[in-house]
Amino acid sequence: MFLEQLINGITLGSIYAIVALGYTLVFGVLDIINMAHGEIFMIGAFVGMLIMSKAGAPLPVAFLGAIVVTAAMGLLLERFALRPLRGRPGASHLASLISTIGVSILLENVAHKIFGSGNHLFETPFAEISFTIGPVTVYLVQVVILLISLLLMAGLSLWLARTRAGKALRAAAENLETAGLLGVDTNRMITITVVIASAMGGVAGVLVGMAFNYINNQIGLSMGLKGLAIIIFGGMGSVYGAMAGGLILGLSETFVVAYGSSGYRDAIAFVAIIVILLIKPQGLFGQAPAEAKR
Amino acid sequence: MKRNMRQFAVVACALFAFVFMGAEKARKPAAPKGEPIKAKIGVISYITGQGAAYGEAITNGIKLAQEEVNAKGEVLVDLKIEDSSGKQEQALAAAQKLINSEKVVAIIGPTLSNEMFAAGPEANASGVPIMGTSTTAKGIPQIGKFVFRNSMPESQAIPAAAGQAVKKHNIKKVALLYGNDDAFTKSGFDTMKETAEKLKLNIVTIQEFQKGQADYKAQLTKIASLAPDAVFCSALYNEGGVILAQARKMGLKVPFVGGNGFNSPKVIEIAKEAAEGLIVATPWFGEKNDPKVKAFVAKYEKAFGKKPDQFAAQAYDAFYIMTNALKAAGAADRTKLRDALAATKNFQGVVGRFSFDADRDVVMTPSVLVVKGGKFAIFN
Amino acid sequence: MEWLNPYHLQVASFMLINAILGVSIYVTLSTGQLSLGNAGFMSIGAYTAALLSTQHQLPIPVGILAGSLLAGAAGILVGIPSLRLSGVYLAIATLGFGEVLRAVLINWESLTGGAVGIAAIPQMGRVILAGARDRGFTPESLGLQSNQFISLTVFLILLAGTLLTVAFFLRLSRSRVGRAYAAIRLDEGAAAAAGIPITYYKVLAFSQGALLSGFAGALFAHSTSFVSPGDFTYHRAVEILVFAVFGGSEHIFGPVFGAAFLTVVPEALRAISEYRYILYGILLVLMMVFRPQGVIDPALLRRFRRSGKGTPA
Repeated sequence: MFLEQLINGITLGSIYAIVALGYTLVFGVLDIINMAHGEIFMIGAFVGMLIMSKAGAPLPVAFLGAIVVTAAMGLLLERFALRPLRGRPGASHLASLISTIGVSILLENVAHKIFGSGNHLFETPFAEISFTIGPVTVYLVQVVILLISLLLMAGLSLWLARTRAGKALRAAAENLETAGLLGVDTNRMITITVVIASAMGGVAGVLVGMAFNYINNQIGLSMGLKGLAIIIFGGMGSVYGAMAGGLILGLSETFVVAYGSSGYRDAIAFVAIIVILLIKPQGLFGQAPAEAKR
Repeated sequence: MKRNMRQFAVVACALFAFVFMGAEKARKPAAPKGEPIKAKIGVISYITGQGAAYGEAITNGIKLAQEEVNAKGEVLVDLKIEDSSGKQEQALAAAQKLINSEKVVAIIGPTLSNEMFAAGPEANASGVPIMGTSTTAKGIPQIGKFVFRNSMPESQAIPAAAGQAVKKHNIKKVALLYGNDDAFTKSGFDTMKETAEKLKLNIVTIQEFQKGQADYKAQLTKIASLAPDAVFCSALYNEGGVILAQARKMGLKVPFVGGNGFNSPKVIEIAKEAAEGLIVATPWFGEKNDPKVKAFVAKYEKAFGKKPDQFAAQAYDAFYIMTNALKAAGAADRTKLRDALAATKNFQGVVGRFSFDADRDVVMTPSVLVVKGGKFAIFN
Repeated sequence: MEWLNPYHLQVASFMLINAILGVSIYVTLSTGQLSLGNAGFMSIGAYTAALLSTQHQLPIPVGILAGSLLAGAAGILVGIPSLRLSGVYLAIATLGFGEVLRAVLINWESLTGGAVGIAAIPQMGRVILAGARDRGFTPESLGLQSNQFISLTVFLILLAGTLLTVAFFLRLSRSRVGRAYAAIRLDEGAAAAAGIPITYYKVLAFSQGALLSGFAGALFAHSTSFVSPGDFTYHRAVEILVFAVFGGSEHIFGPVFGAAFLTVVPEALRAISEYRYILYGILLVLMMVFRPQGVIDPALLRRFRRSGKGTPA
């Protein structure tokens, strides 16, 4: 059973990692938590489901569709809920937080209006294929999820490290003002960041559909809270932290259920952040000590 | 400073009054003249929010019944439907509104036991009969003599199902799986545990999950590794269907025994073939070879596009129970209605034969059903 | 007294409980600490009051007092480690505390009954009515029906509680403590350099906020007569936050107004209840875009005051 639970944990963890990456990117550059990220992820899942179940299209199209829609949502979010708040004298950090909370409530309930509140089936065509290696059964779906997650994480890291746009983003994350002074188009950078983060949420949504076969309009909320826990644990603004944190959380949750009490599963994420905040507040991979934010 | 406080208070009150009372509906002129009994009945239902599917089924069942009853002409019911979103404060406020502003003669609902625990005492204190159609927790009719329910509690249904399942499948070891963050599934679990102990079964493990969870692999893997003969699962159909599907997918093939929450065509819809062999005890059997049931199912499906589940059926019956009692009372009077309700005996509904006991709780016989060939059938 | 509608009184009562909750988050906010754990402190107050009155048959005021004090003590316990955190870190850590507490409430069944909750909690109005009846008093003598009397009593008790709370903290904001809070909020380093004991005041603010939340929780338990873990979720914590941020986070009247407005509006919007939360979400975004300091800010209050004194602005 241990190996099977291990695989469960890794599958879960890689999805968590991608969701966390979305949060960490936005926080790194904008210094804010996008509370609507979880709901954008949920919409990605539904779009993927619609494409595959209703239009009968293959999986790659589902991913494409989810990416396009969630990227568009990120664009709208940045333009209407975040940009107007920047540079305003009266605005505190709380204002962007609240604004994104407003968007998340809006999205959750609009999805409820359109899709109803029950579970919807997310059919993956190759869902039944599995291999048996020794005592363990591994499903093709789990392998695909892991591969896609790894590809995404690797791709993102490479992009950030090697390309000009990626470096510009890192510069903006380091210090927005300075980057602007040095010629980075900060507005464009911010938009790109939010769009990429949202698109990653969309991918994660499709992955969740593949992994669990059922999606509903509440998954955004629980995923959102876990994503927050992960980035605190891993270090806000740290890409490696999001990845490591996601995997660790996925594994811990699975093993606590397997060997401990399943009642406390959702609480683990929060116990973890409390612990890490007391021992190492900047998170596992965080850089600067937690400064006093405005 | 005092002056500002007063000014502020005045503005606050004005704002409150303006926004609030201005939006309130005008009071309808009272009462019945002529032959048919005219009554206003309030409905508190879970219309928006996570459990809205249940509230929708309940409201649909009531509306269908209202159409039929009003068409007959002996009782003319004006329905006032309020949303409580599954939150007890809203249920309480809704009850207050129905009782004091709309001046209803009775209330059907709320949907959740939680909500009833908040709204019930208020209705009772105000002398308004209130009837739950889906509230199955312990202690509800005991709230007061104006509180009724026609929803069969798990404590009656589960022992029936478990008992028959154990006999048929020769079950010795059992795993328990339940949602620990919902009052309904939790109290269902309490009954399951009690029943398992009474039947002297070996409980190999107790696993919990939370509402809205999409992934049960960890819990199911653990259960599978302990090789029980059956799984007793207390869940609502949203989670239940998914649990069944994931269990079968990962090779857990033993019989599942479910509580009231599993008794819904939605489970079969969600789990498809995985639902085969599911055993449920329930008062509601949609495939019963009974003309009344068949007519109801057909009518409901035509009107709402899906088959009625237990929530819809019990709500439909509740409306009839209420209006029959109105007829017996002779007038839309709260106290007379209460007495007539309490005297309800042997009412033949689509759910079966129904009476209130001395505590205004349910007296009914559950049927034990099994899913065969994609449909519910009698288990034997 | 036909016009006295228990429904309006009920909504007004919820409004007052929410006002106290709004002040509870405002108090910690006034030192620059954003705590999202107030739903957790509220649950401590509510469950303490519920357990003491149902299992130990203690009178309601005892439960309310104990619940508030216990929540305040928890506030100290949470406040001290939180000193190392600030900003969003603190917010999420306190949110985490609330969630962990809720998991405990669900799982510690022998104490809390788990998800089933605690029912039949003595309701303030009904208890008072019963006691009054024992002394030969009837509501009819005041021209009231029983349920009007019950709702009115609860409303008056809550009104007293809210006015006391607001008055106390209004005075506090003008005292040395209040000035210390403001100094810490503006610039903690400078405040420390000026000799203000930061630790003491920050923890004090934290526990005051927690105590108020617990107070509101106990009152909540004794008004709705039922509590369960589902009443104290992340949604509740966010709701409380929104009272302060929407209503105004720079003056105590802000959260009071925010609580009043945001309690009444969903009720008044019952007619379009299906779209309630959608509109709520849009409202939040619009507010933040067009008036992020909240509705009530010191500038608005000054204008109020000036017009009150009859001098043109």
